[in-house]
Amino acid sequence: MFEAIELSFTYPSGRKGLRGVSLRGDPGDRVVVMGPNGSGKSTLLRLVSTEFPSHPGSLTLFGQARGPSPRDLRRRIGIVQDTPVHVDDLTGMENGLLFAELYGLPKDESASALEALFTSLGLDDALHVPTREYSYGMKKKLLIAQALVHDPDMLVLDEPALGLDPPSQEALLRILEERSEGGGCTLVATNEPALAQALATAVVLFHEGEIVAHGSPSELLAQVGGATRIEVHITATPAGLPATAPSLKELPADILSIQRLPGRIIAESGSGPDVLPQLVGAVLRAGLNIERIEIREPDLADVFALFTGQTLATRDEDA
Amino acid sequence: MWRTEWLTTLRRRRLFLFNILIPLTLVAAIALSSAPAVHAAAVFTVLFALFGTFGSSIPLIRDGESGLLRRYVLTGVHPGGLLLQRVFATAALDLIELAPSVLVIAVAGGSSASQLAIVVPAIVLGLLAANALGALTAALAKSVAEGALFSAVAALLLLHWAGTFRTPVPGTWQATLEAWNPFRPLHESLLAATGASGPDLDPALLTAPTGVTLAVLLLLTVAGRYTIGLGGR
Repeated sequence: MFEAIELSFTYPSGRKGLRGVSLRGDPGDRVVVMGPNGSGKSTLLRLVSTEFPSHPGSLTLFGQARGPSPRDLRRRIGIVQDTPVHVDDLTGMENGLLFAELYGLPKDESASALEALFTSLGLDDALHVPTREYSYGMKKKLLIAQALVHDPDMLVLDEPALGLDPPSQEALLRILEERSEGGGCTLVATNEPALAQALATAVVLFHEGEIVAHGSPSELLAQVGGATRIEVHITATPAGLPATAPSLKELPADILSIQRLPGRIIAESGSGPDVLPQLVGAVLRAGLNIERIEIREPDLADVFALFTGQTLATRDEDA
Repeated sequence: MWRTEWLTTLRRRRLFLFNILIPLTLVAAIALSSAPAVHAAAVFTVLFALFGTFGSSIPLIRDGESGLLRRYVLTGVHPGGLLLQRVFATAALDLIELAPSVLVIAVAGGSSASQLAIVVPAIVLGLLAANALGALTAALAKSVAEGALFSAVAALLLLHWAGTFRTPVPGTWQATLEAWNPFRPLHESLLAATGASGPDLDPALLTAPTGVTLAVLLLLTVAGRYTIGLGGR
């Protein structure tokens, strides 16, 4: 469906958006790109969706090289941009019908397709409400419905779940999985590890315009190991914080590693949260005050941190 | 696009009403006063031309800034076709909104049916040209304020070359330009409607300006993707 070979993009300011990125998405693939702001995710999406003009490197869509006027290719792509834009004076249905018309669909066909999409996304109550009265999440759902109305071969979605409530996120996942089973290809940018893990057949991690890791979620997670991460957030004691983490000798053998960062101690446990009482005891014995404790399984954000030493932003306004 | 423009106008009832009442107030005040007809015709010509130019350029710039135009184009729709539909739709809406003003001018000036047979197509042509000019100026503007400035200057310059403010000397380049200017029939017909010129209007007056307007519309269609701020996308 799409294939980028050594794709680069430089913004008019001279900032490098992409540096020699090679990536492909085949029928049935759900490719999720992750990375912090400015890492190149949205640049890639804008190139694949044909929003950005010519560029060095090669980009083929549906087996064709992208020409200067890719109108036919655009009709085969459904796009959800990060910022919802609608005709505010029109209702959700009227906005949807406008896009269906632009995609060249007959009105009666598009009305029924839109009604079904609105129902599955939980927007059916707001069909005939002007979009100026829509919340951010409702506008995002309308964007998704507009992108799907013409049953495109490929979907390009920039933070599609941002602003959606959990049932709507589940509905979106279901829709994308069904489309994937039907042979559709989806390219998604998101920084939500849970969504990426649930959705992706392939995850691509971007950093400073380059791909730093690429693989299925399970392949990538295997690189950080299956250890449970226990984060103990600490506050200073009157005597001040010790310079080192509590000694491993005082800790149970199931704690595989322990890392001291400013304001917190991160322990990796091979036996889940069972080690918590011993860990808490060791921290208290070291004279530290515990503010709160977080226990979580490793996710794609940890994979990103492993490769780049940096954290993923949870909300992305990437350019 | 047509449907969207009409629906949007109908939903913005207050704006629609203002767009009728504000020009009507100015036109009625002048047409029903003892203002010299030649000056009245010049004011009406400027009003109608700016009404069309602003009405086209400002919404286009706003939709370009919000990203709506870019989103439309990413559906695979022809950018030129999209632009042309908007120009025709907004020109038609302008005509509806200005119809009461035209009626007041015609009644106050005692226009005959034969005059109106030229006045109406001349106004349609003028509004179409003004809307096309607005679309062109929108392509150059980076903000609504710039768009308003560019539209005003471009429209006033073309109105000047249309002989609205002074009659060019026959045989000069200004006279040639005037004959082809899409705003000339608008001005000439309003001169006739206000009684500032003779009662007879030559339908041939419309020929060359119609050709120019069609050429500009064709240019907009061909170069549409460069004229709505998409940078050739």
